[in-house]
Amino acid sequence: MATLVNLTINGREIQAPEGMTVLEAAKNEGIFIPTLCHHEALEPEGTCRLCIVEVSGAIRHSIRVSCIQEVKEGLIVETETKRIRRDRRLIIELLLGRSPYSKELLDLAGKCGVATSRFRTGEEDDCVRCGRCVRVCRDKIGAYALCWVNRGYDRKVTTDFERLSEYCIGCGSCAQVCPTGAIRIEDRGDERKIYTWGQVIARFKLEKCTECGRPFAPKKYLDRINERAYKTKGLELVDYICPECVKNKERPSPVNVPFGGGAMPFVV
Amino acid sequence: MDVAGVNEILEKFQGVKGNLIGILHEVQNRYSYLPEEELRYISKRTQIPITQIYSIVNFYNRFSLEPKGKNVISVCLGTACHVKGAGKVMDALREKLNIDIGESTDDMNFSLEEVRCIGACSLAPAVVVNEETYGQVKPKQVSTILKQHESSENG
Ligand code: SF4
Ligand code: FES
Ligand code: FES
Repeated sequence: MATLVNLTINGREIQAPEGMTVLEAAKNEGIFIPTLCHHEALEPEGTCRLCIVEVSGAIRHSIRVSCIQEVKEGLIVETETKRIRRDRRLIIELLLGRSPYSKELLDLAGKCGVATSRFRTGEEDDCVRCGRCVRVCRDKIGAYALCWVNRGYDRKVTTDFERLSEYCIGCGSCAQVCPTGAIRIEDRGDERKIYTWGQVIARFKLEKCTECGRPFAPKKYLDRINERAYKTKGLELVDYICPECVKNKERPSPVNVPFGGGAMPFVV
Repeated sequence: MDVAGVNEILEKFQGVKGNLIGILHEVQNRYSYLPEEELRYISKRTQIPITQIYSIVNFYNRFSLEPKGKNVISVCLGTACHVKGAGKVMDALREKLNIDIGESTDDMNFSLEEVRCIGACSLAPAVVVNEETYGQVKPKQVSTILKQHESSENG
């Protein structure tokens, strides 16, 4: 067991294990802090700044991002001060300037009391540049198919040389962790496509389920699962069974492996 | 692709931690840009994913995916230079060379670039040609500057 530390969040005295982030501790107490780039399954990167809180006591009185700030003995956290609300609203307005039609962002804006944004950029897309897709592809899947290019206003998610990716395995985890649906996966017939707002990132032919014959997963993806989950145990998948048939049969199949394909924990 | 050339550079950085930027610099200097094939080869040999390399190449102004001219002209369009009329200097250069920002002349003699503050604000507006810095540049002086580099090449 990790050592427990005492801290205060919004006047409430709580205990939390060392190493936990302020965001997690607040969540455990049922205190809502808006987040966008944070995802339970990924290392925090602190890029969206939405989760800011005001801290004092154990550290200098300042504003910190709660998804990165760790709890500390004697830390005093305030999540709803005037200053935090004002700054948070500004951050949302700025994000809305780029993604004015993102439903998820509009919902968050509503929760934080933002009705409209003072900023208009002209060029609009739903990507909030949170980097979840890049992180999941790199750190969890290990495919390294996605990357950032350019800086500032031109920053965007793409592939190497901005062409169809050779490294994408078509798992769709990027689409799954994307908070706004800016990166999408689409299965049509026996073809899977992965898109961003400006580009088809990858294309795959889907392999058929050995039970029902429905096309359901790209070969590269199934191979990766074989590689990672089965071969290490000296096993090998011989039949590929789609999630539907797995439900009916209750037997192990590639999609029961805890990454991609519907098995990632998803939090908003 | 110039395997021997890239190998030579890679050898030099063997075992150096954080060597990617150094490698890219040398490749850029040798070929005047970073050719795709060379980058993919570097990725294979260093085990650094090509997406990471591509990201870095895109991030730094210094790196280019297109061949650059023999003389690279960088016009500072940072705040101070902008206020002091760098835009006009840039326009003069564009007109004179008949190319846009980010392009090179047909004879590959000159490339034109914009940069954001090179830390020479007291010299604003500043223009850098290769390693040489020109301060308080007026649009009129553009031809003279270009000539210096044309002739230095012939002589
Ligand atoms: S595509 Fe989605 S997950 Fe990726 S950076 Fe944009 S908003 Fe975030
Ligand atoms: S959720 Fe903490 S910075 Fe984005
Ligand atoms: S703004 Fe041009 S040198 Fe600083």
